[in-house]
Amino acid sequence: MCPLPLLISDTTLHTDMEKKYWKGVEELRNDAEFVRLKNNEFFEHIPVDEVIGRKAESADATPRRDFLKFLGFGMAAATLAACEAPVKKALPYVVKPEEITPGIPNYYASTFSDGHDYASILVKTREGRPIKIDGNEMSSISKGATHARVQASVLGLYDNNRLRGPKAAGKDTDWATADKEIKAKLEAAVAKNGKIRILTATVVSPSTKALFAEFAAKYPGTEVVTYDAVSFAGTLKANEQSFGKAALPTYRFDNADVIVSVGADFLSNWINPTEHARQYAANRKLFGKKTMSRHYQFEATLSVTGSNADHRYKVKPGQYGSVVAALYNKVASLAGATSISAGNTSVDDGISKAARDLWNSKGRSVVVCGSNDPAVQVLINGINTLLGNYGSTVNIDMHSNLRQGSDEKMAALVAEMASGAVDVLFMYNVNPAYTYPDAAAFKAALKKVGTSVSFAGTEDESASEANYICPDHHYLESWNDAEPVKGMFSLGQPVIRPLFKTRQMQDSLIQWAGLPYQDYLTFIQGNWNKSMYGMQTAISSYDAFWTKSLQEGVFETAPAAGVNVFAGDVAAAASSIVKSKTDGLELVIYEKTGIGNGNQANNPWLQELPDPVSKVCWDNYFAMSPAFAKAQGFSQGNVIEVKAGNKTVKGPVYLQPGVADQTIAIAIGYGRTKAGKAADNIGVNAYELASMVNGTIHYYNTGITINKTVDEDHVLAATQTHHTMMGRAIVKETNLDKWLKDPKSGNPDVMLETYKGKKKATEMDLWATEKNPGHDKPNHFWGMSIDLNSCIGCGSCVVACQVENNVPVVGKDEINRSREMHWIRIDRYYTSDTTKESAEKDGMGKIDMLAKMEDPSENPEVVFQPMLCQHCNHAPCETVCPVAATTHSSEGLNMMAYNRCVGTRYCANNCPYKVRRYNWFKYSDNTQFDFNMNDDLGKMVLNPDVVVRSRGVMEKCSMCVQRIQYGKLEAKKAGRRPKDGEINTACAQSCPTNAITFGDYNDPASRLSAEAKDARAYHVLEELNVQPSIYYQTKVRNKDTGTKA
Amino acid sequence: MKGSVFTSKVTSVCLIFFALIFFSVKNVHAQPDGASLFKAQCAQCHSTGSNKVIGPGLKDVHTRRNEEWLLKWTKNSQGVIKSGDAYAVKLYNEFNQTAMPSFALSDDEIKSIFAYIKAEGEKAAAAPAAGAPGAATAKAEEPGFPWMLTMIFVILGVLYLVLGKVKEGLERALRAKQGLPEPIPVTSKQASKNWIRGNKKLIAVMFVIFAVWGSVKGWNALAGIGISQNYAPEQPIKFSHKLHVGQNGISCVYCHSGAEKSRHANIPSPNVCMNCHKYVQQGPTYGTTEIAKIYAALDYDPNTQKYGPNPKPIKWVQIHNLPDLAYFNHAQHVTVGQIECQTCHGPVEEMEVVKQFSPLTMGWCIDCHRTTEVKMEGNAYYTELHDKLKKQYGPEAKLTVDKIGGLECARCHY
Repeated sequence: MCPLPLLISDTTLHTDMEKKYWKGVEELRNDAEFVRLKNNEFFEHIPVDEVIGRKAESADATPRRDFLKFLGFGMAAATLAACEAPVKKALPYVVKPEEITPGIPNYYASTFSDGHDYASILVKTREGRPIKIDGNEMSSISKGATHARVQASVLGLYDNNRLRGPKAAGKDTDWATADKEIKAKLEAAVAKNGKIRILTATVVSPSTKALFAEFAAKYPGTEVVTYDAVSFAGTLKANEQSFGKAALPTYRFDNADVIVSVGADFLSNWINPTEHARQYAANRKLFGKKTMSRHYQFEATLSVTGSNADHRYKVKPGQYGSVVAALYNKVASLAGATSISAGNTSVDDGISKAARDLWNSKGRSVVVCGSNDPAVQVLINGINTLLGNYGSTVNIDMHSNLRQGSDEKMAALVAEMASGAVDVLFMYNVNPAYTYPDAAAFKAALKKVGTSVSFAGTEDESASEANYICPDHHYLESWNDAEPVKGMFSLGQPVIRPLFKTRQMQDSLIQWAGLPYQDYLTFIQGNWNKSMYGMQTAISSYDAFWTKSLQEGVFETAPAAGVNVFAGDVAAAASSIVKSKTDGLELVIYEKTGIGNGNQANNPWLQELPDPVSKVCWDNYFAMSPAFAKAQGFSQGNVIEVKAGNKTVKGPVYLQPGVADQTIAIAIGYGRTKAGKAADNIGVNAYELASMVNGTIHYYNTGITINKTVDEDHVLAATQTHHTMMGRAIVKETNLDKWLKDPKSGNPDVMLETYKGKKKATEMDLWATEKNPGHDKPNHFWGMSIDLNSCIGCGSCVVACQVENNVPVVGKDEINRSREMHWIRIDRYYTSDTTKESAEKDGMGKIDMLAKMEDPSENPEVVFQPMLCQHCNHAPCETVCPVAATTHSSEGLNMMAYNRCVGTRYCANNCPYKVRRYNWFKYSDNTQFDFNMNDDLGKMVLNPDVVVRSRGVMEKCSMCVQRIQYGKLEAKKAGRRPKDGEINTACAQSCPTNAITFGDYNDPASRLSAEAKDARAYHVLEELNVQPSIYYQTKVRNKDTGTKA
Repeated sequence: MKGSVFTSKVTSVCLIFFALIFFSVKNVHAQPDGASLFKAQCAQCHSTGSNKVIGPGLKDVHTRRNEEWLLKWTKNSQGVIKSGDAYAVKLYNEFNQTAMPSFALSDDEIKSIFAYIKAEGEKAAAAPAAGAPGAATAKAEEPGFPWMLTMIFVILGVLYLVLGKVKEGLERALRAKQGLPEPIPVTSKQASKNWIRGNKKLIAVMFVIFAVWGSVKGWNALAGIGISQNYAPEQPIKFSHKLHVGQNGISCVYCHSGAEKSRHANIPSPNVCMNCHKYVQQGPTYGTTEIAKIYAALDYDPNTQKYGPNPKPIKWVQIHNLPDLAYFNHAQHVTVGQIECQTCHGPVEEMEVVKQFSPLTMGWCIDCHRTTEVKMEGNAYYTELHDKLKKQYGPEAKLTVDKIGGLECARCHY
């Protein structure tokens, strides 16, 4: 039963809508289970028996009267206990640091760089304790954007799994002993002309590199080997061939009118996704402009980037090379250049369209590819050269330093180690025992190394195999610098004293090499004085330069543009492309937005962040298209055995529309065994399935065989398919050409049938009359506008909200019971291709049409919609609360007083948006929920301005009322009005694409007021007339419809 | 009521009278007061003990130097040094050539100061361990035992017994005169039964009164659970607000500096104490014992004036314990609302031991929000809102906190 069937609008009957959206394939297929769940909106089991301590079937069940007795006793005991208030102690600082005022946060600019991701950040500290990461707007690389992984990284500091001090042979030791022993080993190695190797993930710190050089000078025989868990070695090789530079270019997606990506998930994982996402969104926004980019995506599995594409084509991973070659030929023919040998592909139509659009926007287009095949990347460079994109959208002068790993050198090192030739091996920021495709070989080789030293902060898969672990500081405890892009420097500073007896890797090296520096900070300062200070002329004192750089977190220069002539041999490249057979089953390996390469896998926030596309959390799985699964006889959750070469991996099936035919996809970062309590034994390790071709790691494999194992099923926990929207259309969408003609296109007014004829939904009101226009908001009227054109679904807001508002992690079991606590979620809807027009053309009846619209689509279009409390001004939740625990404020906020709530859950039942969350349990100090809120260390991350909710109360988005109150107070103290943008919610602040605008409707100059008046603005479920405070902006795609846009 | 007004009038007249006598007496005996002169002129740099402050400790100084020298030195120390006095030069160098200023005091005054120093030294010698003379502690004003009422009850009781005996005697005499036999003696049990039978209404009324009284008391007791009004725990340092605020007039926010800008008013860290207590090494009540605890916390040695490496925080007992679910911000009330600290914290300047003055219940918050006007004038944040509200409520209306949403849940609960 639909709870709101009273007024049936046109929209709900889909007559104005062209498409129908589903919450998931379960809905699309109308699974029996789904229908059952859909019909019971709150299908969670109510644990009455558990509460009164009775097992339903047990014979010795507690009788009711006993229960009442216990209850009575419990109350009496609680009352007596409450009479005696505990004595609380208050400990002020002994000497209060001048810059700290307890209760007021301090912000420090720093740098997040873990060898995989990079972001220039601001760290919010309270009483000297880092509690939140924000983006640094001074950085022209990240421009204030952050990523879910960056947002969540603060919890790594408070990970109980961190090592408390150095270890030798698995036993605790002290630094003096470890230093003495390691130094002796180093000297012994030098004495016999032995080999010392530093195995590191990409180092973007110029000072660390300089330090490595000094270390190598002190200990000859030292060599640095760079190895990335997610390798770009093929691309680096291609760029060396093409331009003589083994570096990745930087991109300007904001300058690109046409974007073609072949398998590159550049919005979520590829090179520097935060930077790309902000650029990409800049040219997708339609506020005050009438143009936007067109995005073609050719890919094997449905990625975040592919979900946002205007045109998406399914291609098997082994065919990426063929697609690029065909694209090269099309562009070359338009450019009048010589063509190369290329065959036909299954997506020639798309390639022609893409090539035509690219050529029409030459100089303002970009082609990227996720393949690690050097030959393919040479062709990509060739295409961008033909299009004249170098210098405008692709920049090889200001190259990126984020991936420098060499697969060949890594392979050579493993061989060297296996031969017993390596005397001392240092491992920094790497975990090859987990990430290396041939991890077994690495582990075996590691045993043959004379002395192995790991700098890992936890006893991970590799560190536990090493002779010594000399744990590095967490990055929030360290000094560092970074040069993620040539000429763009940033500084990282510690924001807390080291929590444990750890020591920064660089300090260890200084110590062991006996270098004449007091510590690494002195070294960095010396290095900056020597190198960076001279790159500018504006500041004439080094101290002032250092202070300014440290305060702003960045120091940026503009290196002179060089002449880069493309010298790649496209013909040779075309013939050497690694091609697979067109039939045969293939496997593609991808990264998830939350877990990434797996180095932060033990972060429960990231584990619980649902995958943007599949909405599954706490797991990885073999994703395959529903048609393929059906043909194979698989259903969701069946455990299958996948064999690639000599490796076999067992994992569950997930039905993912949009995966290429004859292809299965699996994410890396899971299947960790020694990461910690949150990550261990979750999912399977997919690194093993990668293939090694011509010395580079390819993140796909061919010649796959799959077997269904007998009688084994695995439950996947997904946050969607719960909280259904009852099949109603809630995402509005149009295409650019239509929107240009009619700004209201896709967003018609919602009309309701009344006895007086059709009326606009908002004109009908139970409460407000002309005389009494409803509640007054004399001071502020807070609200939000969410641009569906900008939202890429990445989930940065979800984690940011979790950090800011002390949202608990509930774990996989609870997610399966639909009891996730996230205050903001991102709904993802697939579309079907059947439209009203096509049905009419086919002469289909209405019922047939609706039935046809339910047909699954092979390659769905995807929309993302962030969903949070809409702060309705006619809130249905408020009217049904029996104890007035949820009420409305005069500033437009729907308030929730936790201590007044008695937990009837009427409000959640009556919420049309399903955004209220119920605390089934006390999630803090509860061994059943052994996440960060169950230990003293993990609790240090909690925001002291937000209360930790207890069991039995409802909670939901408060629109970061603590930030609103704080911002208002700052304005009042200064005797002024708050400036637009000064107060911001955590979700809006963390959004890499600025999709969320928070502001005050009562401020006519605010960005929000302008966006609310936009023709694209609409309220979700407007027909209910609950008058939400949150506007959404109709999504506009830029599809090629044949008409000139 | 009239009576009490009268009494208070009498009291004040008496007070004025006594005060006049006190002051006149003081004026009659106008002699130099060594104690107050020492505190005003010397105590910044010297103690009456043997410890160094800025200058040397003056205990037993009369045995070290004669009176003539002391007079000369006090009036013009530089002169004495320049005259080449060996002791003076040595002293000057010992204290890093910190010059002692010259004091334009009369000989009598200087003598009185040294007499005071001498007396203090002897006092200390007499009671070497007496850290805190009890005489100086201010007597807490406890509510007096109701002597008057007790007396009345006692007198009435005696009267009742006496009259009862008299009545009994008279009855007996009457009977004897009339020749009636002795009445049958009634047991006390029987008597009370009889009394109960005869006074059913009275007993019913008394029962109702007792029941109502009991319920009210019981309710109040239950409602008071969790409210710790008047909570005045013993603190690790016997810090007296009465002395610091009441007598020395130190502003509240000098120490509680967070109150104007932050959510927390903050307990000052000991380094703030040291702004004064680097010099004031002895208190009037507890001598050096309590101040020594500050030094201990900072690991400070007052003799060498050096800080050691082992500071440890002072564990104060928190008096105002707002539950986690309620958010309170001092700056909002102190800076924006311009509320006096005393409004909530009571007359702290009179408290020897600080207690929780207000109940800190939600009802108490709400009551204040209903009656307190918002300070809108002169704050540009409120200008526009003020105009709107004046239109809405009329120009004369009191714009109290509740009128701008001050009773809404999410102002304090999030």
